[in-house]
Parts: sequence; C-alpha cells; structure tokens
Amino acid sequence: MTALPPPAPPLALLAVTGLEQSFGGVMALAGVSFRVAEGLIYAVIGPNGAGKTTLFNALCGFYRPSAGSIRFADRELLGLPPHRIAACGIGRTFQNLQLFFNMSVVENVMVGCHLRARASLLAAALRLPGVRRQERHLRAWSMEALELCELADRAAQPAGALPYGLMKRVEIARALAAKPRLLLLDEPAAGLNDTETLALRELIARIRASGVTVLLVEHHMPLVMGVSDRLLVLDYGSVLAEGTPADIQADPRVVAAYLGGAVSYAV
Amino acid sequence: MRLAGFYAFAATVALLPALFPDNYFVVVVGASAGLNVILAVGLNLLMGYAGQISLGHAAFFGLGAYASAILTTRFGWPSLLALAAGLIAAGLLAWAFARPILRLRGHYLAMATLGFGVIVHVIMVQATGWTGGPDGLAGVPPLDLFGWEVSGDLQWYGVIMAAALLAVWLSLNLVDSPVGRALRAVHGSEFAAQMMGVDTARAKTQAFVVSALFAAFAGSLFAHQQAFVSPDSFDLTVSVELVTMVVLGGLASTFGAACGAIALTLLQQALVVFEDYEMLIHGALLMAVMIFLPQGLFVGLTQAARRLGSALVRSRPSVAA
Repeated sequence: MTALPPPAPPLALLAVTGLEQSFGGVMALAGVSFRVAEGLIYAVIGPNGAGKTTLFNALCGFYRPSAGSIRFADRELLGLPPHRIAACGIGRTFQNLQLFFNMSVVENVMVGCHLRARASLLAAALRLPGVRRQERHLRAWSMEALELCELADRAAQPAGALPYGLMKRVEIARALAAKPRLLLLDEPAAGLNDTETLALRELIARIRASGVTVLLVEHHMPLVMGVSDRLLVLDYGSVLAEGTPADIQADPRVVAAYLGGAVSYAV
Repeated sequence: MRLAGFYAFAATVALLPALFPDNYFVVVVGASAGLNVILAVGLNLLMGYAGQISLGHAAFFGLGAYASAILTTRFGWPSLLALAAGLIAAGLLAWAFARPILRLRGHYLAMATLGFGVIVHVIMVQATGWTGGPDGLAGVPPLDLFGWEVSGDLQWYGVIMAAALLAVWLSLNLVDSPVGRALRAVHGSEFAAQMMGVDTARAKTQAFVVSALFAAFAGSLFAHQQAFVSPDSFDLTVSVELVTMVVLGGLASTFGAACGAIALTLLQQALVVFEDYEMLIHGALLMAVMIFLPQGLFVGLTQAARRLGSALVRSRPSVAA
C-alpha cells in the first residue's frame, strides 16, 4: 500500500482570483484575490471608492470583469447573468434600498422565494390546485424568513410604509427566503441607530448559525470587528491585507491607510 | 375573499340586463365596455404591473379582428378555429417583438411600440387584397360556439361579459402568483428582481405576450359582433385610448383597469350630446382626474370613500365611552 497523499485543505465556498474591473481607464478592481471558507462571516472593508461595492456587483454578475475568475461551490460564475448567479445560491442586499415598494412586506419576501417556486404561466393564470398549494408553501417559507428577522408582525404592511431600519431588514429576509449558501450584505448598518446596529449584529450571527456563509461590506468598525471571522481590506482596487480582526488591527499598513492611527476596536 | 371583488363585478354584470330589460344603453354600450375591459385588463398586466408602456396595443386588437374576419370570410374557417389562429398569431408576433423591443426603456420603448402600431395599421390599409384596405371587410359571419350562433344585442352582451369576467379572473390569478410577483418585482426594482433569480427579460416577454393575447381575443369577438372590420378601429387613437383607460382607472389594479375601461366607454357615450365640444370636455375631464386623483379613479375613489367613512364614524358621539 502506498502512503495516502496529505489531506487537501478544505475547499473554499468562494474563491476569487485576479479579478479586474475597469471603468474607462480607472481600475476599480486591480487583480483582487481571496477565498471564503464555508460557514464564515467574512468582511470586506476599505475607504470609500476602494472597490467594495464594485466587487459585490462583479460577484453578482451586474458587471462583466475583464479578467479573473470567480469560483463558487466549484462553479465558474464569471460571465453568468445575475439571475443565474442567484440560482447558484448567492443572495444579496443593496447599499441603496432596492425593495419592491409596490408590494407588501410578505410579497417582497415571496419574490425572494422565486427560485423555489415552480409555476408555468398557464397554471398560474388558471390557478390550478398545484399553484394554490405552492402559494401556501411560499407564504409559510416567507413567514419563516420574516420571523428570523423579527418582522413577522409587519408582513401585511406595504413595504414602503416601514421605517428605514426595518426596510433594510426586509431586504435581508427577502434574500434569506431564497435559501442562499452565500449572503452578500452591502452596508447593512448604514443609517441604523445603535440599538438597531446591535440587533443587526445578533441577526448576522443567527444567519451564520443557520448555516449561511456571510460576506459583509461595512463601514461600522465595531460591528465589523465584533462579528467577522476574517477580513479583507481593499484600497484603490487592490488587496491591502487579509486576516483575522486581530491581524488586521495590528497591521501597520491598514492602520496607516484606513483606520488612521493606533485605534483599538476591542469589542 | 380573494375573489370578493370578482363576484361583485359578476353579479352587477348579470343583474344589469335583468333590471333594465330591452335597454339599448345597457346591452350595446355594455358590450362595448366589456370589450374595453378585456383590452384594458390585458394592457394593465404589461403597464400597471410590469411597468412597461405600449403605445401600439391596438395592433394586437386589430390582428385578432382581422384574423377572424379574413379566415372566416375568405377561407370559410369555423369561427372558433379562426379565433384560435388569431390568438396564436398575436402571441407569436408579440413574442418575436418582445425581446428586441423590451430592451428599451421609457421614451424609447414608447417610440418603438408606437412605430409597431403604426406599421400594423399601415399594413391593414395597404394590403387591400387581404384586408379590403380602408373600406374594410364586411360580412363577417356570426360567432359559432359549438353550434350556437350568437345573435342579437342581449346574446352578445352575455358572451362579451363572460369573456370580460374570464379576463378579470385570469388577471387576478396571475397577479397573485409567482409569475405575477416576478412582473411586479421587475417594476419595483429590476436590479433586485434579477438578484432574486427572476429572469427579467423573460418576465417582460411573458407580460407582453399575455397582454397581446387578451387584445387579440377582444379583437376576434369585436369582428364577429360588428360583422365588419376596418382599419379605423385599430389606429393610433385607439392605442392611446387604451393607455388612457388603464391610467384613468389606476395602474397596477385589475379592477382599476376594468373601471377605467367602463368609465371611458360611458364618458364617450355621454359626451356625444355635446357634439363639437365632445373632445374638449373629454380632455378636460381626463386632466382633472389626473390632477385630483393621480392614483386613478378606482384607487382614488375607494380611498376617498374610506376616508369619508372613518370621518363619519369619528363625528358620531361615542356611545361606549
């Protein structure tokens, strides 16, 4: 018997390699590489204009990066349209609210279940028994997602009638309703007060506990340092540093470029 | 409960001819309103729910009408088969045009659909060999429903209203289904809809095809009811009227579209007595509705009624206290 080869390192859920995205000569992403292991809360930080949202939009297929690779669960995502990427198991929220203001809260979340719904146009128009049964399931799934986000009592309200902090939660519930493996949160704490931010931190931990890997773009440093397992620091479209919150806070380059002085974010 | 409004509408439609027997206004104007209900409810799926404008919808209405007229008069097809052929033709045409056209947004989409409507109208006028040209096609045989030939105003009222109720029912079902929610999501935020896994190009195409099918269906009934078709019934003015109905009644509401269709049909009938001033009053009324009830007649008036109701309740001295 020959000796077994050493065990391979655990496969990353998301592996981004050499991602490049330029807008008319400006390199918004200049060869970004990183790996996110399954089950982590992974944060991407950096000054404004560092390329964080560009990275999200590239991951979701809204931009077509000029070079690089995005492997997710052993599939290449580069070049797929957004709805196909969503079907691979990636959900997201948006920095600027993108709620469906023409629908109720629960209907918003039911759109999130779209990938789990099967209904042909004809079956839906005739409201066949299968469609009726599925509607009940979709509503129940959506209520589950709303309960996780503590929004169940708001289900019937028009999405536009909620306070801002709750609207951001509806976006999270809507993304979770699709049962993604990876959830991208784009500045979920922006515009929230301290109480809401604390609740958000608990929510992100609950989401991870339910088995969803979280990729987080956020400026709120106490939240990021408190909740993340690992961080990626971007600056001018390049990776400045990568590591645990303790590594990052100790990294002199990060301190110089971004955090601005020796500040500790012990939480 | 979901269909409460539908049952109320059905009951009203059924009771009207019983309450006003032999009333020309109810059965003839009613039938005309019924056709408009089918057209407006279909267009509302595209405009109100999916948020895409079409300024050429009379083209599909005309396609259904001419398909029935040509196939029955020139080729002797049974009327139901001709109706089905009209539906298939309109559906295929809408499907073929949807992808290139629905890439456009806003004014550009409006221009493209406008052009589409104009082209189809020109074909109706110019292809005299098929369509009879500006003189139209006369002698369309009556609608034959499995041996029952629809004749007389009352029977036509019944058939058209049954079709209108079917259109309303289908629309209500669609809106409250994954297909309909995908459409509304496209309207709400195309960006987010894609990220929820909605194929937005496909959703828009579906809305365009379904609204074309509704219009072709109405067109086919119209051809048999009138026994005559001519290009005048399907020109740009008609397309604009259809848009007006949907906006007047209230976008993104099936009953809103139905109310808009009925209101505009009645308005046109009522204004005939003013002769030369008809268009003037017509336009002024539309402007007034848009200024004072921007959400449309249906939503605006239901909300006003609700406010009035709660005001009355408040003004009454409280007994319990």
